[in-house]
Amino acid sequence: MNLERLPNEEKLTLCRKYYFGGFAFLPFLWLVNVVWFFKEAFVEPTYTEQLQIKTYVKRSGLGFLLWVAVLTTWITIFQHFRAEWGEVGDYLSFTIPLGIP
Amino acid sequence: MVSLFDSIHSLGDLVKLVTSIQLFLFFCLSDVSCNSVAQKIYVELNNTVPCVRLLNATHQIGCQSSISGDTGVIHVLESEADLEWPLSKGPNPPYMVLLESSLFTKSIMMKMKNASSRVAGVVVVQKTSPPEFSPHTTCPNENTGVYTETYDHNLAHCNTTVWNPRGNGLSYEEFDSPVFSLKEDNETEVIKQCYFDHNRVVNGSGLQYPLCAMQLFSHMHAVTDTATCMRRSSMDFSTSPVMVCDPLGGYNVCAFIRPYNSTAFGHKENESVVIAAARLDSRAFFLEDSTGAEGSVSGFVTLLAAAQALREATQEAPPTRNILFAFFHGEVFDYIGSSRMVYDMKNNMFVIDLDNVHSILEIGQVKTCISINVWTYKCMDIRSNNNESVTNLVKNLQSSTAGLNFSLVETDFSQPLPPSSFQRLLRARAIPGIVLADHQTDINNRYYESFYDNAAHLNLTYPSNLSPEEQLEFVTDTAKSLTEVATAVARALFKQAGGNNSQVNKINADPKTVTQMLYGFLVRSNNSWFQSSHQANALTYLVQYLLANLTGTATNLTQSQCKKPDELPNESTYLYSYLWVQGVVPPNSTQRESFCVRTAVRLVKAVSPAFDLGDYISKEYSTWTKSQWKFIKARIFLVASRDLEMLTLGVGVAVLFTSLLVTYFVRTKADVLFSSVREPNNAAY
Repeated sequence: MNLERLPNEEKLTLCRKYYFGGFAFLPFLWLVNVVWFFKEAFVEPTYTEQLQIKTYVKRSGLGFLLWVAVLTTWITIFQHFRAEWGEVGDYLSFTIPLGIP
Repeated sequence: MVSLFDSIHSLGDLVKLVTSIQLFLFFCLSDVSCNSVAQKIYVELNNTVPCVRLLNATHQIGCQSSISGDTGVIHVLESEADLEWPLSKGPNPPYMVLLESSLFTKSIMMKMKNASSRVAGVVVVQKTSPPEFSPHTTCPNENTGVYTETYDHNLAHCNTTVWNPRGNGLSYEEFDSPVFSLKEDNETEVIKQCYFDHNRVVNGSGLQYPLCAMQLFSHMHAVTDTATCMRRSSMDFSTSPVMVCDPLGGYNVCAFIRPYNSTAFGHKENESVVIAAARLDSRAFFLEDSTGAEGSVSGFVTLLAAAQALREATQEAPPTRNILFAFFHGEVFDYIGSSRMVYDMKNNMFVIDLDNVHSILEIGQVKTCISINVWTYKCMDIRSNNNESVTNLVKNLQSSTAGLNFSLVETDFSQPLPPSSFQRLLRARAIPGIVLADHQTDINNRYYESFYDNAAHLNLTYPSNLSPEEQLEFVTDTAKSLTEVATAVARALFKQAGGNNSQVNKINADPKTVTQMLYGFLVRSNNSWFQSSHQANALTYLVQYLLANLTGTATNLTQSQCKKPDELPNESTYLYSYLWVQGVVPPNSTQRESFCVRTAVRLVKAVSPAFDLGDYISKEYSTWTKSQWKFIKARIFLVASRDLEMLTLGVGVAVLFTSLLVTYFVRTKADVLFSSVREPNNAAY
């Protein structure tokens, strides 16, 4: 969707919706927020709502990075230790590979 | 208007494309020798026997390939020293090592196992038998017999007698690469030809690509141990749960002389049963290749002949005690069949229970030794249990051998029992019994539990000018000696069951039956006698139908009546089972004279009690399972060098990028390139 034609208040509402939506365990909404509104927040010349949009974009970015860190850590641990955890590892898995521990 | 013509053009092209596809498919599907590219590259090998993965409570054994097959350059091994080429010197790893059966030894296999990065797999071609080879362990079934740490521990773990001293334990090793077995036939010739054409080492120097390679697929689903794979089989999160492994087992074949109501389980008042037991199964390194001529076939054939011999006498003058002929399956894997029967008896799931059992006579390995003098056949040894009524059993057996051409020798008390189903019964209750075997100390079988334990090892020799039908009828020396044993066993069983002593000498086993059975089980199962009982290949069903034929009575029922005999007044499925036997083909017609036989033979499920109890780490019962797999195949093809493959890939990628660049360039300069062509079209419209 092209943000050029939107009035500024609607841009702010959109950014706010995506920011709050991301709290529902949806980090991709925050990623979309950052990518979509980056130009609006940091590149465009200043307008009234830009400060708010900037804070939303920054916080979305932080939240997304946090999610990335947590998920990467968990996925690394799980992939490495699943075979050693035996029964617990099997119960945590949805698909268990055949033929390898 | 431009667009209309364009669309008509493209429609025409589309129609042409569709019709050409249809024509291609039509010809392709109707003609079998379609010009498929795959058929030009690969040669499929059809008669292969793979080594599969087995698991128990603690280990996994057997072989595993990767999910997309293991490929290796074929190398035919000529001697043990030649192993250096695939292991270190060869320039084109990984190798697929092809060896003959004489080189299939533990040292070579272990060396290849340790170098699994350079050896992609092993293929064994069965040719000549080595002088001795036993891939089984030195102490078979050491933890599930009667001798444990708590009971007679100085006899446990083969402390006194090592039963299989030649055992190298190869069947119980774990391999990371596939191992297949091939017979020597056309396919092996193709492989050898391919090897000589492309792979031959010339003066120890490098080889020219393309090289002949083989790819083996034998991806096994199960891993780690039985508990893991049973747990994974039972979890069904996904829509189609995948069964990962199956418990090993089969069916025991049981027959009483006087059948009981098969729905009434548990103790039978005032009934006393003598059990005559034998083992049905055997194993080899390649699980489907097992023949077990000396190890198991000799034993159960003798018992079948004894059952036939007893039929007349027990019908005329039934003895006081009942006799149960029990053929146990799965004994080589920690006594699956016998532990199941004992479990059923203890838990009132069998028609009798342990209190009803009077004594046991088990026939173990009974290939009699070839005599030195013509009339002096050597030893039959007896293993006996420390109990007073055993002496009666021994006396009965001794007296039964009167007039027969072999002698019985009681082995020394210090010797433990050999691995036998009797051990499982003893583990539950101290029942008197004996085991007959032809060895005095260790099991004197050079090919114990290996695929060389076949007809040749049992000395089944036929004169060369006989047709298959004549060979079926020819009575070999082995058959004669087994017949003697069967006669002795039958008479001893009759006396043990309290039969009338005057009838004993009329009990004689039939050598013709024995030799036909030996021929059918060891030489060729597709013979007229086997086919007249049942057209099946599985050992259990063959034994079931044979026992039915030998001990049952033929009736006049039609085929539909045979399936539902309860409707008839005199027949009862509680006591008997009714089997439809194919019958022989009379000389003048082509139709078989089939008939319905009424018999007391039943198949009893023989799966280890550990699976019923859900105790997959059981130390008490067998926990063996076999992995499942999707498909197993092998194929050979020519393989190109890595450099050529990389070059082809590189050229392809370069062409892709070049075409992208050209397209981008043409697109940006489109007005310059195409402007002159457009104007005439515009002018026309």
